[in-house]
Amino acid sequence: MRKTGVGTYAGFIVILVWCLLPIAWIVSLSFKSLAETTTGSAHFLPQDATWDNYKVLLGMTSDKSTSHDFLAALRNSFGISIIATILAVLIATLAAYAIARLEFKGKRLVLSLALAIAMFPVVSLVGPLFDMWRTFHLFNTWPGLIIPYMTFTLPLAIWTLSAFFREIPWEMEQAAQVDGATSWQAFRKVIVPLAAPGVFTAAILTFFFAWNEFVLAISLTSTTSTRTVPAQMSYFVGPDPFNPPYSQLATASVIVTIPVIVIVLLFQRRIVAGLTSGAVKG
Amino acid sequence: MTATTIPRETTKAAPPHLSDRSVAENRLGQKLVAPALILMVLVTAYPMLQALYLSLFRYRLTTPDDKGFVGLGNYVTILSDSLFWKDTFNTVLIMVVTVAVELVIGFAFAMVMHRIIFARGVMRTAILIPYGIITVVSAFAWQFTFSINNGWVNSWFSWLPGISASTNWYGDHWHAMFAIMVSEIWKTTPFMALLLLAGLSQVSEDMLEAAKVDGATASQRLFKVILPNMRAAIMVAVLFRALDAFRIFDNIFIMTKGAQNTESSSFLTYRQAIEQFQLGMGSALSVLLFLTVLLLAWLIVKFFRVDLAQARGEG
Amino acid sequence: MHVPRRSRGASRPPGRSHNRRRWAGSLAALATAAGLLTACGSNGGKTTLVWYINPDSGGQAAIAQTCSTDQYTITTQVLPQDANQQRVQLARRLEAHDSGIDLMSIDPPYTAELANGGLLAPIPAAEQATLKQQSFKGATDAATWNGQLVVYPFWSNTQVLWYRKSFVQKAGLDMTQPVTWDQIIKAASDNGGTVAVQANKYEGYVVWINALVSGAGGTLVKDASKGVDAQVTINDQAGDDAAKVIQELAHSKAAPPDLSVSQEGQAGSAFGAANGAFMVNWTYIWHNYDSTQPDVAKDIGYAKYPETVQGQDSRPPYGGIGIGVSSYSKHIDLANQAAACLVQPKQQATQAALTGNMPASPAGYQDPQIQKLFPPDLIKLFEDSVNSAAPRTVTPYWSDISGAIQSTWHPPASVSPSSTPQKSATFIHDVLTGKKLL
Repeated sequence: MRKTGVGTYAGFIVILVWCLLPIAWIVSLSFKSLAETTTGSAHFLPQDATWDNYKVLLGMTSDKSTSHDFLAALRNSFGISIIATILAVLIATLAAYAIARLEFKGKRLVLSLALAIAMFPVVSLVGPLFDMWRTFHLFNTWPGLIIPYMTFTLPLAIWTLSAFFREIPWEMEQAAQVDGATSWQAFRKVIVPLAAPGVFTAAILTFFFAWNEFVLAISLTSTTSTRTVPAQMSYFVGPDPFNPPYSQLATASVIVTIPVIVIVLLFQRRIVAGLTSGAVKG
Repeated sequence: MTATTIPRETTKAAPPHLSDRSVAENRLGQKLVAPALILMVLVTAYPMLQALYLSLFRYRLTTPDDKGFVGLGNYVTILSDSLFWKDTFNTVLIMVVTVAVELVIGFAFAMVMHRIIFARGVMRTAILIPYGIITVVSAFAWQFTFSINNGWVNSWFSWLPGISASTNWYGDHWHAMFAIMVSEIWKTTPFMALLLLAGLSQVSEDMLEAAKVDGATASQRLFKVILPNMRAAIMVAVLFRALDAFRIFDNIFIMTKGAQNTESSSFLTYRQAIEQFQLGMGSALSVLLFLTVLLLAWLIVKFFRVDLAQARGEG
Repeated sequence: MHVPRRSRGASRPPGRSHNRRRWAGSLAALATAAGLLTACGSNGGKTTLVWYINPDSGGQAAIAQTCSTDQYTITTQVLPQDANQQRVQLARRLEAHDSGIDLMSIDPPYTAELANGGLLAPIPAAEQATLKQQSFKGATDAATWNGQLVVYPFWSNTQVLWYRKSFVQKAGLDMTQPVTWDQIIKAASDNGGTVAVQANKYEGYVVWINALVSGAGGTLVKDASKGVDAQVTINDQAGDDAAKVIQELAHSKAAPPDLSVSQEGQAGSAFGAANGAFMVNWTYIWHNYDSTQPDVAKDIGYAKYPETVQGQDSRPPYGGIGIGVSSYSKHIDLANQAAACLVQPKQQATQAALTGNMPASPAGYQDPQIQKLFPPDLIKLFEDSVNSAAPRTVTPYWSDISGAIQSTWHPPASVSPSSTPQKSATFIHDVLTGKKLL
């Protein structure tokens, strides 16, 4: 029987502190007033906590310029990430089904290509993509980002999905058909519910990638109509042009981290399963 | 251990021609992977070819009349330029140090997580937060942490030699590199721990029990039983993390913008192409970066004997 | 009877079985929504001209309102603070034929690059004549490329030598005569004061270096129209004199502790501190301390930019903004009309009164709004300084040259007259000809 020793408890605390200290830090910063961070304050906790930063960023004050840019960036991030995720998962599902269930020439080629894409330095594409997109009028458009995002999330999606699909007892489809279902009904009522969790996990992982992407976001966009959150945050100009608004940046950070924390809280088991099956067999 | 399932088609020797079922399966399989294949090839191969073409020119976007064919001139310039090598050295240093540190700390975390039987959900959530958080956000958080006026590193650690209330972490090369590495390590160690945990879970308890019965000490169990059986998992993790670390960009862009000579290879490529509008030179850098990553991957696979089938996710 | 095995996660709600069809539907909906979102911004009726401005305290936005007519509304969008970033943003979008930019506030050194790339719409000849007549010579020089005026001169900024009257009294320095850098550095270090400048690794540092070199009678680069074959002259005697000044300051007691990262803001703080003595900075400084440090505000004295070499007239830096019309704008004629209105002396003066960034025309200076805000001898000093200012070299390769200088002359403590000018000259040449990476 495994006994949980003191060392394990201590390790538990260390891991929690490691993971959560910077989060606590930006939350604390987000409650500091703009004046406090401009003059500089060496305290971890705010001296006089205030909701001002949140009000400014969410458009609840009279000056709407900061919130307008920030909310536009949120809109862009959500839209682009969701569309890229849907398309990538669609394509990956087809490919993963084939890889997990069928034998065909070129299976290893596809997997090797996926591996190569996963290792590809995305920054190598900024020069040529900028040149190509300005010719095809895709510069500063949603598709201009969605297309590369779809491509670079394919490997992880394919790996996750094929690992999940291998676990599915496919013979149940045939059993259902023996029991009288048509092949479409068998697919819909038996296979899809079993495949759905894997698809969902793959969707979460690809969403994280698109949500997080930075290099292409700053290189292939130029206005708030397309700029995603990571890019917009690096362009934050506060009221004083010579001093970046630290506390507002922290507030923006907290706001965009909330959905991540919620998703992680709800689906941590799924996400871990997807990540570890993608990289390590078993 | 490195055996893979041999795909059926290489043992085609037996039947003189494929059965109808195999042909149909073959065609269906290829049709299903076609969209993925086409997309991956189009979005990476085509621009890379374009980059290869552009790299043969001296081409500055905003002075189009000075465009001229220089053949391999750009490559010669880059490979003989001290800035390029400095940045490559920075990048390799970051890669080696962060992966090494992450391996050690990540393994320790994995051991802890393996033994925890309570609050597993809390643990998993905590571990995933650094993974899920946007890199830019984490970079800002650490930038403020090391800030001289607003950060807590100086005030909390001023009892350490070398750190005082007025240490300017962004004032010189090594301090800035340290800050960048800390930020990178913080974010990716939990992910590394997860990968190692998965590998750790596969080490059979029976083997460990047998070793204990045989009188092996904890450290002998660690080095002679656990680690060797985790080899495959560790090496795949090293491959992915090393290549990720080599492509570091977000942390450097946000924390120092490359000041104090902290540029990485990716940052140099970005700056040439997007800020200097040097499409010719930038494309040459893109091609070199791509080749370097390829070389690195090949070296790691060969040197660490990484199980490629496992890396590829084959069944 | 074969009982189906419950696999993990098999408890999905039945709605999930319409997966693919639902996804196609939501995809279409999302695509439409995306299309609608990105298409928002059109005004239905009145034309909107978008003016991309550099960050300021509201002056440009104010006159944008004034100059809006029944035919068009001028709205503003803010660019990043850093001059090079402004250039990157604008050039990138213009190269991508973006029609969302109509007017732009352009930093003078980057005017040639944008004009050379065909990114600026030509200014009507009649308008050019008016502008040449109304603007300072320095302003028109900085706005000219290939014999044509390519931007509308808007502000002409310059730097003067600001000093603390109390300190100068203590140090016994006569500020009614022209002073040299050597004199003020010695006066400051002998009496416990600081000389604040801009010496961070950014465009502001090159502004200082250019002023020093020009003040010694030299230029950074000659024959700029030859493009990559321009002659680099930073390593002439003038360059050595400039390097000598920087070396002296960096190693003296008068150097502020944050010298190597100082920009306009840091210099302002150093000057306002208890041991502040001298500072070179832009015209906005006069009102900079009014609300935060009124005692400092009362203590400010001003004189012409220091001489690099004893007896040789100093050449103050030239900064400012020119308004350019994008050649990819959908409303070029209206944009030209708008620009002509924005640079009228009255608007220049209104803008200056709000931000401290001075007009590009003598008439603007005469405007009562300006006369009210600055003492008459300061106004005269500004005008004299603009008239004798030395602009940074007009060349489409300015960003490369500036970057190369920043690379080799930073940090200030490493500058030496015997090596730095020569090193930088070689580097500039190599960067221009593509033999070295910047």
